Amino acid sequence: MERRDFLKISAIAGATAALEGCGNPDHQLIRFVPEEDLLPGIATWKPSICTQCPAGCGMMVRVMQGEAEVIRKGQLGLLKMGLAKKLEGNPAHPISQGKLCPRGQAGLQVTYHPDRIKNPLVREGARGSGQFKEIGWDDAIKQLASQLSTLHTSNPPGGLAFVTGPLRGQRKTILDAFTTSFQGSYAVGAAFLDDSVARAANGASFGHAAPGTVDLANSNYVLSFGADFLGTWNSPVAQNVGFGHMRKGRPGMRGKFVQFEPRISQTGASADEFVAVQPGAEGVLALAIAHVVIAEKRKPLASAGHAGSLIDGWAQGLPDYAPEKVAAQTGVKAETIARIAREAASHDPAVAIIGDSATAQTNGYFNALAVNALNALLGSVGKPGGILFGAGLNAQASKSGPASLELFASQVSSGAAPVKVLLVYNANPIFSAPTAWGVRAALDKIPFIASFASFMDETALLADLILPDSSPLESWLDDVPPSGSAKFVMSVAPPAMAPLHDTRSAPDVLLDVAQRIGGDLAKALPWKTYDEAIQAAFAALYKEKGSKTAKDADEFWSRAKDQGGWWTDEPSATANGASGGRPIKASAAQFDGEASQYPFHFLPFASQLFYDGSLANLPWMQEAPDPLSTVMWGTWLEINPRTAQKLNIQRGDLVEVSSPHGKLQAPALIAPGVAPDVVAMPIGQGHESYTRYASGRGANPISILAPATVEGTGALAWAATRVKLSAVGRSAMILFGGSLTEASPELKHR
Amino acid sequence: MAHQWGMVIDLDRCTGCEACVVACHAENNISTVGEDQARRSRAKHWIRVERYYEGEFPDVQVKFMPVLCQQCDAAPCEPVCPTFASYHTSEGLNGQIYNRCIGTRYCANACPYVVRYFNFFNPVWDKPLNLQLNPDVSVREVGVMEKCTFCVQRIKAGEIKAEAEKRELKDGEIQPACVQSCAPRAMVFGDLNDPESEVSRLANSGRATKLLAELGTRPKVTYLQRDAWHGHENA
Repeated sequence: MERRDFLKISAIAGATAALEGCGNPDHQLIRFVPEEDLLPGIATWKPSICTQCPAGCGMMVRVMQGEAEVIRKGQLGLLKMGLAKKLEGNPAHPISQGKLCPRGQAGLQVTYHPDRIKNPLVREGARGSGQFKEIGWDDAIKQLASQLSTLHTSNPPGGLAFVTGPLRGQRKTILDAFTTSFQGSYAVGAAFLDDSVARAANGASFGHAAPGTVDLANSNYVLSFGADFLGTWNSPVAQNVGFGHMRKGRPGMRGKFVQFEPRISQTGASADEFVAVQPGAEGVLALAIAHVVIAEKRKPLASAGHAGSLIDGWAQGLPDYAPEKVAAQTGVKAETIARIAREAASHDPAVAIIGDSATAQTNGYFNALAVNALNALLGSVGKPGGILFGAGLNAQASKSGPASLELFASQVSSGAAPVKVLLVYNANPIFSAPTAWGVRAALDKIPFIASFASFMDETALLADLILPDSSPLESWLDDVPPSGSAKFVMSVAPPAMAPLHDTRSAPDVLLDVAQRIGGDLAKALPWKTYDEAIQAAFAALYKEKGSKTAKDADEFWSRAKDQGGWWTDEPSATANGASGGRPIKASAAQFDGEASQYPFHFLPFASQLFYDGSLANLPWMQEAPDPLSTVMWGTWLEINPRTAQKLNIQRGDLVEVSSPHGKLQAPALIAPGVAPDVVAMPIGQGHESYTRYASGRGANPISILAPATVEGTGALAWAATRVKLSAVGRSAMILFGGSLTEASPELKHR
Repeated sequence: MAHQWGMVIDLDRCTGCEACVVACHAENNISTVGEDQARRSRAKHWIRVERYYEGEFPDVQVKFMPVLCQQCDAAPCEPVCPTFASYHTSEGLNGQIYNRCIGTRYCANACPYVVRYFNFFNPVWDKPLNLQLNPDVSVREVGVMEKCTFCVQRIKAGEIKAEAEKRELKDGEIQPACVQSCAPRAMVFGDLNDPESEVSRLANSGRATKLLAELGTRPKVTYLQRDAWHGHENA
């Protein structure tokens, strides 16, 4: 805006403010009384919780007074209000420790996104047509309540399904109680990057069905099997802080980090040693390392305890896993395996981590058990510098897992699950499921779909009713992060600012609906509002844990609100408590698609900027160059240089990637870090509908995945698909920067 | 003695995560230019993460290096500016006075680090994304060159606060947005004129190097080379 225009508008604003109540309300600029004591130009810092990924980092929000053009009581006006201006890590919070990742930094753009759903919508045109009509909240809640009321009287009873992303804290309590109070209802988890394999394996090996906290800061030797722990896996900010300390925070001591994976990830890029491993052979490799440690009597095999006993042949010293025997299978030289084993065993504390593609193979559960056994052998479970499991509530969140989306879709399609009402919260099942699961067809069979979406994504587009959630910065938040710190952490944050639009916090809407329906539902949810529920949780926490500083529950609560939560001073790691379970034999990873017809392993990977695709709507994420490829505003397929040469594929060629379950097109990026028999593609783009910044951009690798599952769990084996490639034309990729020395015309950014 | 602001980036800690890049956008009102302009190499990132591949698979290595304005003491960008928009501040920063800039782009051509960015258009924020703007930082209009300022607004705020409280600035009290966000603590900012500051101490480390030092630009950003593991098989 030109300065002159600004002055003109200011003058008009002054004049019309004086004439309030006159003229056309649409042209009025109404100033409201400020809701809080903010001084112009002076920043206030308020605690909040990052919700961009499930890590649960504590944040501080820089709030300043500003003028926002908003609709209030049906009128557009300039409202003087507190506005979030910058997000930083909360220095007191045990997980973020004052730091934030790029995704967290971009959380601001969720609140200010131009394509947010600004008020409740009801479908007008055909389902999926995108034609909606704005309605008021009272009408919207009445419609939802009346749909739900019919379920109580229907015969057979039941017919409610609730599809969600990861849930914790009182948000989980409210949604769980809401769902279970309807007979025969389904709670369905739709997170693509879930940690169910790690939870199941850690439960079996150690008695803790939790992802665990890696104490990198105190570690001396880190073995990571596929885990992108500096990018997207588990609790990346906490892990980055720990990693920096491991490298250079201890004078005279620098830990070594070895990464085993088929493609150098952003995390692998920081490794001291990158070891290429065949996809699916991670568990065998871990046991070969264990074999050397045991055979050379560097650690007694009994030290692995229960975790070791779950591996077939452990008691005999893993005779089948001698390095020379598994070298071909794993693709790792026997002497490399032996050397790494000796290094790890002689540099206590050493820790092994497994995640991402290593647990997303059909044998991912075995891989995780094998790495757990190695960890136990190295003596790093529950010890500083190892893997820690917190006590109490931190582990509680995982007791009952939701049903898998795959099972749900097949039951709805077959009629075995007669779902009449579907609620969708913080999930986009159409995008995050392989096409082969048939989620789209299943949703078409459900008569009524209500969504709490903030953006018109692929799933919200199919909804009959949209009750838009307020943004995280506009909402109460609570969280009980299961990893990232060995301390006991319970976070809470009041809204950092007032809602910009006519939106409501989803848990509040559910509580409202429960009160309107009454009966068992209202009894199961005794709180009027979500913050009342959070306060109740903190009152219970005060009763259980007490406090050194607060004199009563009220003071405890108000302190927690001020500092962003409550946490213990000391780590509260607990001992192992697992027993039972039969020894597991090595199972080879199975891949969907004949190797002769589909010669390449297809490796989708979580994007550093888009995570699972849910952040592709943010312009800061679209225009930030990907750390490894430097690609902006698009997607790409990574192909090894030798493979590309063989197939006569150049950088920027448009390549068709076909699996037995579908095909997509993406521009080729010749990447030295990917194995010759593997092609890799980031998750995140390929949204049909996800705001002006993401819609119709690139391709979604999830769509062509085989419906393979991880044996022993119901999780999707998303690294178990094979594909074939063919060049079909040219495409333009946008690469940023490149480097100072190798600036080719295409790489130059100016 | 006046402050001489400097930075150390420890490449043994940097994990290439890009938090600095996005934090900088948020703090400094850097507009996104969109797909079409990005395709024409007009995206603006005051700090970027460079990535270098070495070797062939499987013996391949990757290195990251965040690159921002090096705040040179002998800055090639400064003498070429006909309007003195690029100038050297008393605290050693390569200042850029936006309302003096007439867009000759001589400075960008002279800069060997490729860290100056030109506004080919007026910046646009699709409403209400404009509400994210930091009121402490001016937005730059079409025809103006922009670059990293070491978050001069944070430096000034810190200095004013210390003066009001009649005390010296504490080491580490001022953090540019990139430094504050950096989770592995690869970036350290401080006063090079204070021999006790962490940045001075680290800048004297045996791993310290300057980017393109041979050009004689005397950068105030010091890189600490990636270290090697010093253990062995049978420690």
